[in-house]
Amino acid sequence: MPVLFLLTVVVYPLFYAIALSLQYYRIGGFAGLHNFAFAFQDALLGDSLRATAIYVGLAMSVECLLGLVLAVAVQRTVKSVLGRTLAYLLFIVPMVTPPVAAGVIFRLMLIPDYGIVNVLLRDVGYRGQPILWMSSPAMAMLSVVTVDVWQWMPFVFLVLYAGLQAVPLDVVEAAEVDGAGAWARFRHIELPYLKPLLLLVLVFRFTDTLRVFDHVQVLTMGGPGASTEFLSLYLYSIAFKFSNLNYASAIALYVVIVISIVFALTSRYLTEEIA
Amino acid sequence: MTNEVHAARPAAPASPAQPSVVRRVRTRRRRNAVRGLVLAALGALAIAYLFPFVWMISTSLKPTSELYTQPPTFFPVQPTLDAYQAALIGAGNWVLLRNSVIVCLSAVALTLALALLIAYPLTRLRVAPRFRRGLLSWLLSLRFLPSMVVVIPIFATVRTVGLYDRLIALILIYAAFSLPFAVWMLKGFLQEVPQEIEDAAFVDGAGRWRAFFRILLPMVSPGVLAAGVITFALAWSEFLYALILTATPRSQTFSIGVWSFVTEFEIIWNQMAALGVVSALVPICLLLFSRRYVISALTFGAVRDQS
Repeated sequence: MPVLFLLTVVVYPLFYAIALSLQYYRIGGFAGLHNFAFAFQDALLGDSLRATAIYVGLAMSVECLLGLVLAVAVQRTVKSVLGRTLAYLLFIVPMVTPPVAAGVIFRLMLIPDYGIVNVLLRDVGYRGQPILWMSSPAMAMLSVVTVDVWQWMPFVFLVLYAGLQAVPLDVVEAAEVDGAGAWARFRHIELPYLKPLLLLVLVFRFTDTLRVFDHVQVLTMGGPGASTEFLSLYLYSIAFKFSNLNYASAIALYVVIVISIVFALTSRYLTEEIA
Repeated sequence: MTNEVHAARPAAPASPAQPSVVRRVRTRRRRNAVRGLVLAALGALAIAYLFPFVWMISTSLKPTSELYTQPPTFFPVQPTLDAYQAALIGAGNWVLLRNSVIVCLSAVALTLALALLIAYPLTRLRVAPRFRRGLLSWLLSLRFLPSMVVVIPIFATVRTVGLYDRLIALILIYAAFSLPFAVWMLKGFLQEVPQEIEDAAFVDGAGRWRAFFRILLPMVSPGVLAAGVITFALAWSEFLYALILTATPRSQTFSIGVWSFVTEFEIIWNQMAALGVVSALVPICLLLFSRRYVISALTFGAVRDQS
């Protein structure tokens, strides 16, 4: 049956990964937990984890906050159907742009000498060296986070906006008559409705930013140095540049464990919300 | 509109109307100011979102000589399709384009067939509710599995069975990883068709297969179409598996073509932009067509959106 197909494509590799992770690199043979233990001494892994944490934290919080503010703002100010459709169309486009293409777009805009961003900066009065967007650690991080926000803030917006449509109008109007201010309406009426969706969005964005790969590979390839070498890119370089599949599998299994815990903690709420 | 109606209501019976009118006017003025501010911010955001595309398209239409003019021209002075021709035909990327189309179409067909085979029994046959819930939430959990984690053993497996650098490997994998959302989405659509309709067909003597193909499938065809479109777009955008499981133009997909252009030592910007345009245009056009399902698909049907 088709479920069997899924099992072979997904579950079999998982066991294969466990088998791989228990062997020594190159020489083969049973290694016990050697690869798992080695992860704790791996300074590069630590750097990568730190970079990933910064990336996940920044991208996720900016996306969720901005998306939430935007959803409420649009809900309250844009009342015409045309305006709402336009907003919808506008925000659906970046989401469906392939990450690789998004990387290309930002590469084009951020070329130091004649990229449009630096040119515009000069026009508004920035005088100084042209900013090398990809060549300093902080700037590279900023660039890749910007791309993520640009692409996925709309996702948060659209989900929460759809959630806001479910808030019954009469409740909102009653609150208005009772003199509830804008903040009170948000805090006591809309937020409770949005809570399950916020959780959903957080889980989706957390897992997605954790595995970010595509546009970073296009923009910085992990550089400069290892400042944007996020977990996926680090795994990639271990597994496919140094072809140490064993150690890579061990790290990968750690990731599976973390994701499983997150999923186990939230799955009840998620499936309830979805089903 | 409704705001003002309600704002007026409490003031109506008041006899010392003067201060409340003043306050009302003041709040309305402030509300308008806020509204203007929000609209201005939205406008700025719209520009921030559309401009990158405009810039990419504009760059792709520039002749090479115009790329480095200072200050850069906003719109190409002499628009030309040279970059497209050079990037697609000159650099041989049309082969990758063809590969991508083959992979995506096959993955769509496979995904839809398998997803219907899973979703139909789940919604129509008698299945233990625990099994049903378990299967669905397992499928959901696959959505969160980082592909980088799975790709390592898959790479090892694919190499040992001799599918490395073959299109078929990508097709199977894309189908497998589109399945979870496709099942969830089709499940939602199938549930909306009342059981009675199918029962009526059974009464009229139709078998299960006949009832499925003649009655049920046409009714859920919008859902099937949307799932297909989204599978296509996902497979089209996919990069990681394609990067790892392919090595030569025999099986590389278009994403890889775009990427390898970016990593070259001296990047030809207008050709890179041209490839970016082609790569972005395909899913954008497809998904604008079935836009009302995008959010629902990306959230596994948690959010139903009608726009």
